[in-house]
Amino acid sequence: MPRVLIVEDDVAFRDRYGAILANDPAFEVVASVGTAAEGLAMLDLRKPDVLLVDLGLPDLSGIDVIRHASRTLPACESMVVTVFGDEEHVLASIEAGASGYLLKDASEDNFLSGIRELMAGGSPISPIIARRLLKRFQPEITPEPVPLPAAPRTERSDVSLSAREREILLLASKGYNYPEMGRLMGISPHTVTSHVKKIYRKLAVHSRGEAVFEAHLLGLIRSM
Amino acid sequence: MIKPLSHLFGGLLVLMAGNVFAQATASNSGDHQSSQFAPFQIFDRAEFVQSASWLPPDSDANWVPVELPDSWQIQNRPRDKIGWYRLRFTHNGTAHSGSDSGQQAIYISRITNNIEVFLNGSSFATSGRLGPQPEESWNLAQYHFVPFSLMRDGSNELLIRLHPDGYARAGLSKVYLGDSADLREIYNRRYFIQTKAPQLITGVLVVMSIFSLTVWLRRRNETMLLLFGLMAAVAVVRLFHHYFRDTPLWLAAMAVPAVLWLTVLQTSFVLHYCNRSQPRLERGLVIYALGGSAMLLVAAVTDLFSEATQVIYASLAILTPILAAIIIYQLSREPSRGNILMMVAMLLNAAFGIHDFLNYQELLGYDRLYLLPLGLPLLLLAVAALLARRFVETLNDYETLNTSLSVRIAGRERELAASFARERELDQQRAAADERQKLMRDMHDGLGSHLMSTLALLKRGSLQQSEVESLLADCIDELKLTIDSLEPVERDLAVVLGNLRYRLEPRLNAAGISLDWAVTDLPPLDYLDPENVRSVLRIVQEAFTNTLKHANASRITLSTGTNRAANRVWVRVTDDGQHFDMEKAKGGRGLANMNSRAARMQGEIEVVALKGGGTCVSLFLPIQKKKPPTDGVFQRLSPENARQS
Repeated sequence: MPRVLIVEDDVAFRDRYGAILANDPAFEVVASVGTAAEGLAMLDLRKPDVLLVDLGLPDLSGIDVIRHASRTLPACESMVVTVFGDEEHVLASIEAGASGYLLKDASEDNFLSGIRELMAGGSPISPIIARRLLKRFQPEITPEPVPLPAAPRTERSDVSLSAREREILLLASKGYNYPEMGRLMGISPHTVTSHVKKIYRKLAVHSRGEAVFEAHLLGLIRSM
Repeated sequence: MIKPLSHLFGGLLVLMAGNVFAQATASNSGDHQSSQFAPFQIFDRAEFVQSASWLPPDSDANWVPVELPDSWQIQNRPRDKIGWYRLRFTHNGTAHSGSDSGQQAIYISRITNNIEVFLNGSSFATSGRLGPQPEESWNLAQYHFVPFSLMRDGSNELLIRLHPDGYARAGLSKVYLGDSADLREIYNRRYFIQTKAPQLITGVLVVMSIFSLTVWLRRRNETMLLLFGLMAAVAVVRLFHHYFRDTPLWLAAMAVPAVLWLTVLQTSFVLHYCNRSQPRLERGLVIYALGGSAMLLVAAVTDLFSEATQVIYASLAILTPILAAIIIYQLSREPSRGNILMMVAMLLNAAFGIHDFLNYQELLGYDRLYLLPLGLPLLLLAVAALLARRFVETLNDYETLNTSLSVRIAGRERELAASFARERELDQQRAAADERQKLMRDMHDGLGSHLMSTLALLKRGSLQQSEVESLLADCIDELKLTIDSLEPVERDLAVVLGNLRYRLEPRLNAAGISLDWAVTDLPPLDYLDPENVRSVLRIVQEAFTNTLKHANASRITLSTGTNRAANRVWVRVTDDGQHFDMEKAKGGRGLANMNSRAARMQGEIEVVALKGGGTCVSLFLPIQKKKPPTDGVFQRLSPENARQS
């Protein structure tokens, strides 16, 4: 039975998540805390299988909690709970090691199915994130017509995507879901999700070296 | 490049000095008609008679003693008769046995070409073209073997029959008789200087002339190339008959105007070379040369050519010193090595010209060598070398200039890039401010008014909880739509639509409607900024909302497509529900709203009621918007603008 750790400073939301998960016998909430410090402590203490974390915590960023989880608990699936699922936050979370995100206002069903999907393979990649990932892994697709000498290379790629993974991202960027992708590509939805999981991992690996730089780039330091 | 040429000049001088010296020594030793020890003997006396017959005249004919060299011009002999020269010598059979072959030969340094030579009454050599139309060759050396069989011990008689040519330049130089090998060496040397070398250089001059004139045709402002090309061509015309056999008479006659043109062109060239062009003087000289040429042409037709020639030469005798003074003055103003070389070469050629003029008047001896056939080409080669050097210097200058220019241009490019970067930054700032303003307006009209009205309804207390939920959900939708519009979609409409599906599908599913997705690759739409993204999202969302609220549909299809020929893409929302009148539909803000949003992007909306029920709403958008005629970045850089500023 997946053991879930909730890190969320808003009590109302924290209780809601807890209630949703308590209704489903498939999940067990091992702790529900309101600060990053407590979250880190619980990660070490309870070693959960799933981490649900809010990014806007009072003491540290949720990114730090995710990073800690991905370092100390490789088996733990981290999931960001965000209001808008916007690119900046989601991408930074994925780079820190998260493998999906949930929307705060998701219905109970969607909330649970999101966690289940995550356990099964990986959260759906939103079109914008897919688009961004494509660009991230293929910086040479749109080279600057006039290279400015001082311009820093924002996109570097030492990990490359396979043709299949690229195809999946292309379809995802157009809004296709996993079953549809499977049909279009002639593979099972399950295979699609396993590809997606690889993509998430590649991004995390890819970004580790440039995490600080990326944080600046994505304006995380400003937005936190 | 100049050194070898000056060596050639030096060599020429030495040769000519040698020529004069040889002539002097020859006349000294010529008195001894037969020397026991010399390998050859030189005749400077002969006997002469003119006759109409081709057969040797009798020994008691009217033989007159003449000195060699002998010129018909000086002696004023009629040209319509054949001339005979008789040379007598004694031969001692054993005296020449010392040489390898003992083969005897005669060598004549210059003679009219058309001759037949007899020894003791038997013909043994002919040359040229004998008969009524003799070959026009007047400046050639001759060399012939003398057969043993005709040679007698003791007294021998050598007869030369001469057919004068059309130039009235008949005559006979000293005659050499003796060892064939020794004489061949002398002959070869003479032939080389007199004929072969000038011929070779002529070939070079022709090529250089063609080259210069061809280049000039492409670069008309290189006057020096024109002048040089013409000089080389005229020089060839001038000298041709000196060393080519049987030159046509008209070509030989053109040597006279050629002298005129050479003088004029040379002066003009020097003026240009020194950057001291004097158009009036040069024009005057050209008129003078044209006038002289015309006069010669008329004279040739009216059979007064030699008189006209004398007039031309007289005028040149007056003009040349003046032009020479001008040339010397101009060249000495800047006494560089090249200028001095050119000056010396030109003065030397002037001296050669005077020498050749006197020679032509037969005042210097019939066997005297003409100097201009070598001197003039060498002068031109020297000039060519100077031109080439100047060309190379100019090229080097250009290269240096180019290098410094490219450095400067690179600097400018950097400045330009920096200013473009600054401008881009400003543009971005402007765009950000612009976008912020649009967003504010949007929030004010959309989310703001939504929240306000919800709040007002709440205060009135007339709302059910479900209504509040629905109103607030609308607000959140509105907010999400706004946030989505700010995501970087890179002008990709497919991503925008994909993201919309991501947002809307859970709600459609909750309402029991399944969504068929058929989004294709779409070309990037340059104008797809956040504001236009919001417009697209609202239009499509409106279509969905209408279907949700009124159509009672179970399936919605969203498809896209591209029609490049029509410059547009389309987004189509089709449902399988009941058709309804959008204008009258409650809730949604209606078709007018969608239309006005689409129109702002130069797009349009099309609503079609499907036969089997259901509605198809299409949004057409241009791939590229028509640009209103505004000031663009490039207009600032366009030449017209640059000229204005």
